[in-house]
Amino acid sequence: MSTYITKRLIYTLVILLAASLLIFCLYALTPGDFISGNIKLSPERRAELRAIYGLDQPILERYFTWMNHALQGDFGDSLAQQQPVLKLFKDYVWNSFLLAIVSTFLTWLIAVVIGVVAAYKQYSWFDTLVMIGIFAAMSIPSFFIGLFLIKILAVDLKWLPPGGMMTTGSNATGLAYFKEVIHHMALPVIVMTLLGVGSLTRYFRSNMIDVIKQDYIRTARAKGMSERKVLFTHALRNALLPAITLVGFELPALFGGSLIIEKIFNWPGIGQLYMQSFSLRDYPLLMGFTMFMAILTVIGTLLSDLLYHVADPRVKLQ
Amino acid sequence: MKTLPMKKSTLLLTSLILASALLLSACSDDQDAATTAPAPAVTTPTATDANHNSKDNPTGLYKATDLSKLPDTAKQRKDTIIVGLTDPSGAFVPYFTQSGYDGNVNNQLNASLVSTDDQGVPQPELAEKWEISADNLTYTYHLRKDLKFSDGSPLTAEDVAFTWTILHDKAYNGDTQVEPLHVKGGKAYKEGKAKSVEGIKIIDPQTVSVTLDSPNAIALVQLGGPVLSKAHYGKDYTFGHLDYIKKLYQDVVGTGPYKLEKFIPGQEVRFVANEYFYKGKPKTEHFIYKTSEGDVWQFLETGEVDYAGFSATQENIDKLKGLGFVNILPYTPSTYGYLQLNLEHEALKDKKVRQALTYGLNRQAIYVDAAQGAGSLANIPSSPISWAYTEEGINSYKFDPAKAKQLLDEAGWKAGADGIRVKDGKKLTIHFLGSKNKGTDIFIPIAKENYQDLGIDFQPEVFADFNALVSKVESKDYDLASFSTPQLIDPSDGVVQFVDGEVKGYDNPKFKELYDKALATSNIDERKAIYKEIFQLLNDDLPVIFTSYKKSVTAYNGRIQNLTVSPFSGIALSLPNWELSK
Amino acid sequence: MSSMSRELSTQNNSPRIPVRSSIWKQSFRQLVRNKLAMSGLAVVIVMFIACFVGPLFSPYSSNRIHMNIMNHAPNARHWLGTDALGRDVLTRVLQAGRISLTVGLASMMLSVFIGALLGAIAGYYRGIIDQIIMRIADLLLTIPSLPLLFIFGALLSEWKVPTDYRMYIVMIMLAIIGWPGLARMVRGQMLSLREREFMQAATVLGLSNHRKLFYHLLPNIVPLLIVIATLNIGGAILSESVLSFFGLGVMPPTATWGNMIDAANNMLDFQNRPWLWIPPGLSIFVTVIAINVFGDGLRDVLDPKKKR
Repeated sequence: MSTYITKRLIYTLVILLAASLLIFCLYALTPGDFISGNIKLSPERRAELRAIYGLDQPILERYFTWMNHALQGDFGDSLAQQQPVLKLFKDYVWNSFLLAIVSTFLTWLIAVVIGVVAAYKQYSWFDTLVMIGIFAAMSIPSFFIGLFLIKILAVDLKWLPPGGMMTTGSNATGLAYFKEVIHHMALPVIVMTLLGVGSLTRYFRSNMIDVIKQDYIRTARAKGMSERKVLFTHALRNALLPAITLVGFELPALFGGSLIIEKIFNWPGIGQLYMQSFSLRDYPLLMGFTMFMAILTVIGTLLSDLLYHVADPRVKLQ
Repeated sequence: MKTLPMKKSTLLLTSLILASALLLSACSDDQDAATTAPAPAVTTPTATDANHNSKDNPTGLYKATDLSKLPDTAKQRKDTIIVGLTDPSGAFVPYFTQSGYDGNVNNQLNASLVSTDDQGVPQPELAEKWEISADNLTYTYHLRKDLKFSDGSPLTAEDVAFTWTILHDKAYNGDTQVEPLHVKGGKAYKEGKAKSVEGIKIIDPQTVSVTLDSPNAIALVQLGGPVLSKAHYGKDYTFGHLDYIKKLYQDVVGTGPYKLEKFIPGQEVRFVANEYFYKGKPKTEHFIYKTSEGDVWQFLETGEVDYAGFSATQENIDKLKGLGFVNILPYTPSTYGYLQLNLEHEALKDKKVRQALTYGLNRQAIYVDAAQGAGSLANIPSSPISWAYTEEGINSYKFDPAKAKQLLDEAGWKAGADGIRVKDGKKLTIHFLGSKNKGTDIFIPIAKENYQDLGIDFQPEVFADFNALVSKVESKDYDLASFSTPQLIDPSDGVVQFVDGEVKGYDNPKFKELYDKALATSNIDERKAIYKEIFQLLNDDLPVIFTSYKKSVTAYNGRIQNLTVSPFSGIALSLPNWELSK
Repeated sequence: MSSMSRELSTQNNSPRIPVRSSIWKQSFRQLVRNKLAMSGLAVVIVMFIACFVGPLFSPYSSNRIHMNIMNHAPNARHWLGTDALGRDVLTRVLQAGRISLTVGLASMMLSVFIGALLGAIAGYYRGIIDQIIMRIADLLLTIPSLPLLFIFGALLSEWKVPTDYRMYIVMIMLAIIGWPGLARMVRGQMLSLREREFMQAATVLGLSNHRKLFYHLLPNIVPLLIVIATLNIGGAILSESVLSFFGLGVMPPTATWGNMIDAANNMLDFQNRPWLWIPPGLSIFVTVIAINVFGDGLRDVLDPKKKR
């Protein structure tokens, strides 16, 4: 096990190094740079600024400079915001996390409950309804449903605020602040849950159907165990086990923010920060964000593999 | 353009980028509509009194009809006014700000030495008066008495000299360009050959002067920007090192009507009234810029913001009037739209072809009709609100396909077998570049029809991303590209692109001569006459195809009193006077 | 139906026709009995026919601009009204459907083709080839997809691609981010299949690598691929709309369902002109549901786990 982990970690580091080079080159090759966006600078001033920011160096040299600093924990300063990339992450990432963790929790909860019940009552009218609902949820263009709900729930009915994370100008603290945030995150959480619940419900439903057909369930029933106990202790546990591997894959999503949702709901998250930086070609921030995501992804994958092993010791780690 | 107050251009650009590249093309035909930002930031907020402006907008204002419809959220605010701003990033030191939105914030935190009125004429602000030497080389600014920074410390000529000096530092990485002004000794300082900038002289604590190597009429306003406190921003300064400024981005000291109270990243910039403001403490205690991406309607309709800009389409105006609780104020931003021509391409070197392209394009349909009235046609490189604007002797290039065809025939482009015009065996093709926004969506189908009708092969290409568009234009692989200028203050701002290499391949000695002549004097009447000549020349020469002026409306909470919008400095001008009625 | 039988006939080229066709036939019969899946298929077919044939009968298919009939509500002449440039919305929705369906279908085929081929090669040959392919896949999987799409979108915009052909770029973009996941899965399947008895038999018989790979291994993962492919079409149609939202999709005036919704994605059009966003919105919604329902039905009959 420990040699496996050591091997995996080394491999992970190699992949991350390769990824950093690839990402760096891709960003550098993207047409236009931070300076070219400001068309009103004179050609001489542009050259000067490029020299100040080191943008006139060859790509590889720039990469090694960046890497050298990054290895020392210095991801540089954002060009547009002129602040350390890591500080900006700290400012924004927890807002994204909050949104993601709540909607992920709700998504899983709803998906498990509905999935299990639908599987148990396979081919009933409830199951059919659930299936149609699942497909419907999987067929909505995300950006469209966002604005649509803002229009209905915020502008017309005025039930929920149209965007942001707290009431503007509010000095609320403690419980009042908590309430405010809950109120503001309701809409984005609804949308994120709606968009995510479909595929997960389907996943749990089919897992559960597989499990119910297994011999040990039949045995449990034959033993005269109550249907409820069969379903929730034996069947559910086994249906949930494979899902444990999904936890790792959720990791980047938890911290990476949602580009679309944050944009539509004016949520001060890291996804928005990234989007704004991209059009400005704010390289340090873009590199920082993408590497952050890459790191989370490989950690998530590693975690999934380990959890899979924990869940099902028969699976060999290789 | 290459003016000193650069923040405005970045803002325009940034909002353009955001509006076009970054989705929520909500109402992205116009950046005013796509963002809730007030008028683009200028580093020189004007501070004339409200009376002065009300006479300029006596008719435009539409008053709210039913304030009882005001959403509760807005009703509950007693001493706070909220304006949306797309994306302030937290770097609130003037000249060092990279984002135009931070420029908007800076406008509230800092007053300038000199500002401009609604026609772009220089007005006193922190400097109560100034003198220009007879040779037009030396500018002497006289500061008001008892000026104080927001921390209560006095503002003196030292601070002004310090501000001008660090703009010449070699490590200065902001987008303010002082080089074109040629301040005496500026270059030597930048290269480290001099300990100070020779041309900058402190005469007494209240008087400071600057001497240029060559006359430049816009220097007065360009150098008359915000003043950095030397005690606050200069105590750690040594030549070649400006990194320390970053630590002060949110620890700011200014001269504007408001002080920074709190910056909440991605959410709000909170201000509190500055008791040391030279015109007295603003009437409303709190002011907030709310970071607001997304459709601007949702925030105005729910009372989350008190103020929003829209493009002046009939539909927008009707809906705003329907809300009942907003006052509506029309204004024309000081910009013009144009189609940049690749003058290095053989066909476009010919003036007749350029004129034909203008006559043959139904600009009325694109910029006025399809924009539902939120635009008017431009024929010269100046905003209609500028003091230099004229229509005298200006050809309006009314849509005339017959005339366009005739001009193309004269230029030697004859219809080929497939209907496309040919000259010397080459087909007449126009490769158009645009960025993704509603305006481009309208432009392409209409231009395609128009130009096909003339026998021109029109090939449009659309970019999601403004930077990509610019880099494509720089690579010269295009014939026609759609742009809009940033905020223009001085009339020279609108034409500088034809002399400094921005519009490559345009080389008209007559124009260059006039351009220099117009900058060599500070007398407005003289300059007016010269600009008239320039505009007539460019209107005939068409180094670019002039397209349109935008029309916008500002909608704001009917409770706000004394609000005006300056075409040059947006709300910064009147903000200190804003007051919430009961 | 037609698409299904076409799929079947291509599969029948495999040398084990007698055995396989009976399984195919059996599955097919099972599928026909699944009413939900069949109605999904019917909807998809109707959509295809409407979009590819419909515009031929429209008097407005030239998409000319009519400034005098801008933003008209649905009426007898324009059944779904007109848009901001006076173009007929019904015609545009159908024309947009051509592009959206083509993009969905083509990008799916491209990514399934690349993914299956590379995955199969990696899983079969293993060793250095496997290492190279899978490391590239890992690398691409490491980078989050939207940022990757942003970069590719900007990179590809450098190519001189006329707006009309922008859809090919969108297809390539979607395929680039789509293949690694697929390759990984196919490789996994291959690794387990190549250990099975029938492959040992093939080795004993001295069959060539090429023959083993293309005639014995690949056909075994075809059912899985068909299911994934079907479900991917829906995903690709949705992805195209998201790309339009980010301004990276097919550019107007070429209409797609995505950019039509995006053009009407603002409060004013929401309120005043539902005919601009309901038709494309409903088209995406119904088509993707139908494809998913059908794909799910296919999975039920083709999934080897369930059948064998």
